[in-house]
Amino acid sequence: MSGPAAVITGVGLTLPDSVGDVTDLFDVSASERGLFDREAGLRGRGMRHKDRASRLALRAARSALGDAGLLDAETFTGPAERTAVVVSSNLGNLDSVCSFVDIIARETVTGLSPLGLPHTSSNAVAGWVAIQYGLRGPNVTVCNGSTGGLDALFWARTLVAARRSDVAVVVGTEPDTEPVARLLRQQDSGPAFDGAVAVVVESAEHARHRGVRARGVLAGYARARDLSAAITAARGLDPRPVQLLDAETFTTRFGYCCGALGVLQCAAGATRLGRDDIDAVLATIGTAAGAEAAAALLLARAEGVA
Amino acid sequence: MSWDITGLGALASIGSGPEEIFTALCDGQEGLDTLRAFDLSRYRAHHAYEIDDRAQPGRDEPFRATRWLRAAIDQALRDAGLDGGPSQYPMLVGTTLREQRSVELWWRDGVPLDSADLYFGPALRAWFGTPWTYTFANACAATLYTLGMAGDLIDLGLADTVVVAGTDAITESAFGTLDRVQNDTPDALRPFDNGRRGMLMGEGAVAAVLQRRGTGSVPARARVRAVSMNCDASHPTAPTALTISWAIRDAHRRAGLGPADIDVVMLHGSGTQLNDVAEATALSGVFADADAAPLMTAIKSMTGHTLGGSGLLSLVMAVLSLRHGVVPPIVGLTDPISQAEGFRLVRDRPAHADLRTAQVNAFGFGGINAVAVLERAS
Repeated sequence: MSGPAAVITGVGLTLPDSVGDVTDLFDVSASERGLFDREAGLRGRGMRHKDRASRLALRAARSALGDAGLLDAETFTGPAERTAVVVSSNLGNLDSVCSFVDIIARETVTGLSPLGLPHTSSNAVAGWVAIQYGLRGPNVTVCNGSTGGLDALFWARTLVAARRSDVAVVVGTEPDTEPVARLLRQQDSGPAFDGAVAVVVESAEHARHRGVRARGVLAGYARARDLSAAITAARGLDPRPVQLLDAETFTTRFGYCCGALGVLQCAAGATRLGRDDIDAVLATIGTAAGAEAAAALLLARAEGVA
Repeated sequence: MSWDITGLGALASIGSGPEEIFTALCDGQEGLDTLRAFDLSRYRAHHAYEIDDRAQPGRDEPFRATRWLRAAIDQALRDAGLDGGPSQYPMLVGTTLREQRSVELWWRDGVPLDSADLYFGPALRAWFGTPWTYTFANACAATLYTLGMAGDLIDLGLADTVVVAGTDAITESAFGTLDRVQNDTPDALRPFDNGRRGMLMGEGAVAAVLQRRGTGSVPARARVRAVSMNCDASHPTAPTALTISWAIRDAHRRAGLGPADIDVVMLHGSGTQLNDVAEATALSGVFADADAAPLMTAIKSMTGHTLGGSGLLSLVMAVLSLRHGVVPPIVGLTDPISQAEGFRLVRDRPAHADLRTAQVNAFGFGGINAVAVLERAS
């Protein structure tokens, strides 16, 4: 890809309390992990009238922006007109859709709350994140199945490379709601994730001007019909040995992460680069055969990136 | 930077192909009818611009949005001479509601559903062979966003050919919540008219093949000069005139054109109180100094609001306007809103003019705005 390189400068997690210690996967502080009093953090100011996916996402976005040094208290200090939001979620608004249908059947439309309107559209989360921090750049919602998180990172990188944005807040969020639980039970996908993860992607030049550390550079990405083809294409000619971050490691620990999976993998990779002589990590999603396509994303140490 | 449009496809309530829809628009033909599959006793609004294709009248069925998407992309690939054999082109699909209608039928009636049915990738891969697909839920600006992102893929050297498409079927949850919040109950969508009573949804799918300049196997139908995209970041559903005006100016700047260079504007024109005032306010600011005011039209007066696909449907109709030198009228416009004073809104009958450039507006929930600028293929 031509255009400016894109690096990761911030990471934020809102994980379920049940996952316990995750320091083997994420080398982040307690605040970035959002592990303290999570449910309290999903209530209160700025959280009213928003669905669970949005509240989880807002929490993660705040941690990531703070980690990237782009917040002064609650105020965004970066370039608002040149900051994009890219959200990946597949199951985020199913609770709104299904509960509204039930209410209409029971009480007619007069039983609906007008405040539910934003959540009928699948892009509500990205809208709330933009509103919270005044982010007026491109606002994109990726609903692209299991690979959506990796795809969202690719599109964040593309927005930077095309010079549409200097900064992109990438969020993966999937809530555990009644319809999600029923759907996953029916298709035998295991428990829902019920969490969010955010990553700040930034042009390497912009990060350098701000004097912040780049945790890693988005160095390669591919979608393909199967996993081995995706891996080959994402690595390209990069000769570095990679540590694999496969999907199963995360779904075993966190449940069916769905659209949040790729962002989780990237966040984990970004915090581990440079540790234990790890120069590059490769996040992979997909199988040898299946209805869904496979994807792979290469994240490398950022030293020397212009 | 500009990109060739080499193939077009579209389905809507008023036609099953781009030329058929364009002819219907020029004839002032509306797709308005009574709701076909929802229980009328549950709603105040009883009208929509649906595609009448259910196997059993009155009985809804899942995956209509997916079915139309395939048909629209098929048309566009054929038009571009790219049909036959599996394609490896990236396909970028914009939508507001994805397959949420199928979710509703699953939740309430037990129709089978898998999480992989929620997006369009598996279906596109099964039909067209490409694993390189994306579903973007970018509300009603979705397909102009995808058009811009497709252009970025070409500019960055990642592809020479990209398929851009959109689709939406009406859901009970979205139709019902809109019905709940609108103060009035519209029986038709009347953009930019003082008598407008709100938005009504339409159904449709649309597709376009975008190619690096000069690489297509057929002549370009038109050229995309630029696409801008931004976000109001102020309200989840109400639009902001100022940020809309920024998106319009940014599109002009990217296209290397000034307001006076725009010959026709395809309005977002959703017929809500707030949209039409905000859009007119933004346009009057941008075009205040233009020597020649552009013609303006709003196809939602005949197709209803086709949601995620509506921006690209307007763009496909703009391609045909440029080709034929004809702009369809805004049906039902008798008393234009005061904010549109001085606008050359096309009324009563089609306008004939030598058109070189078109601007297309699309705005959506979440405050997201996208504006495209087109030029006629020489």
